[in-house]
Amino acid sequence: MTIKVGDRIPSVKVVEATASGPSPITTDDLFKGKKVALFGVPGAFTPTCSAKHLPGFLQNAAALKAKGVDEIVCLAMNDAFVMGAWGADQDAMGKVRMVGDGDGNFTQAVGLELDLTGKGLGKRCKRFSMVVDNGVVKALNVDEGGFEKTSAETMLGQI
Amino acid sequence: MTIAVGQRIPSQTVRVLNEGGTEEVSTDSLFKGKVVMFAVPGAFTPTCTNQHLPGYVKHADDFKKKGVDSIICLAVNDDRVLNAWAKQVGVNGKVRLLADGNADLTKAMGLDIDLRAGGLGTRSKRYAMIVENGVVKALQIEEAPRNCS
Repeated sequence: MTIKVGDRIPSVKVVEATASGPSPITTDDLFKGKKVALFGVPGAFTPTCSAKHLPGFLQNAAALKAKGVDEIVCLAMNDAFVMGAWGADQDAMGKVRMVGDGDGNFTQAVGLELDLTGKGLGKRCKRFSMVVDNGVVKALNVDEGGFEKTSAETMLGQI
Repeated sequence: MTIAVGQRIPSQTVRVLNEGGTEEVSTDSLFKGKVVMFAVPGAFTPTCTNQHLPGYVKHADDFKKKGVDSIICLAVNDDRVLNAWAKQVGVNGKVRLLADGNADLTKAMGLDIDLRAGGLGTRSKRYAMIVENGVVKALQIEEAPRNCS
């Protein structure tokens, strides 16, 4: 079942790509006591994610923070090594927290799985965005194709 | 059950990176002639990036001199990730990258490893094999993913 507005983010373990390498973190710690702009992408280094989605959040980082967002988090069902390499490639480190959901713990718990086995990507997450305030979902957008509903620009209008 | 010396590589369609992009090829055509295939648990992971793949890139010409037709590096990553990794390492076409993103071939050979504790999901064990016309002639498996000897 897909998570909805008003629900609390389930407590699961993910792995963040940090400057000193992968670092396990719980969603409790990730979302506690702050307003987070979270977006999920089907895959690091894939065309839409690299060319538009993540860059959009980087470009709008200051505008999101001006609207009270404390942190921006990018999540994908890649491991934290890949997320770190992608974050470095996109010059996102230090601006957007890059979180690897390599086991799908988060993706399955919020019901946003996407089967990309046909494309050789295995199980991934749908393209989504969420505004999460102190662990509670305040806005949720899911794109089934394209990235318009889940863009940084759309989120700016929701907070 | 893990594949053994004397056994044939399972027939499958796999994704291989070429300079022009990703190509879907059958394992039957990929393993024609003498092929060295090695596998890594993950692109961009420390041992793989710093030692394993660069070692094969460096010695690619030596392998060719010994009659090896192609060198293949398999990982349970998608082709986009492997493409980015190949560029970073500087593979320059010396090693062909096989993106086993669904772990289909890895599982069919019984070489999968559960790395969920590290947040990597199902991956491939680190191994190296010599394959001649589709038949495994030698196989070395590292039981600890971090080792590379």
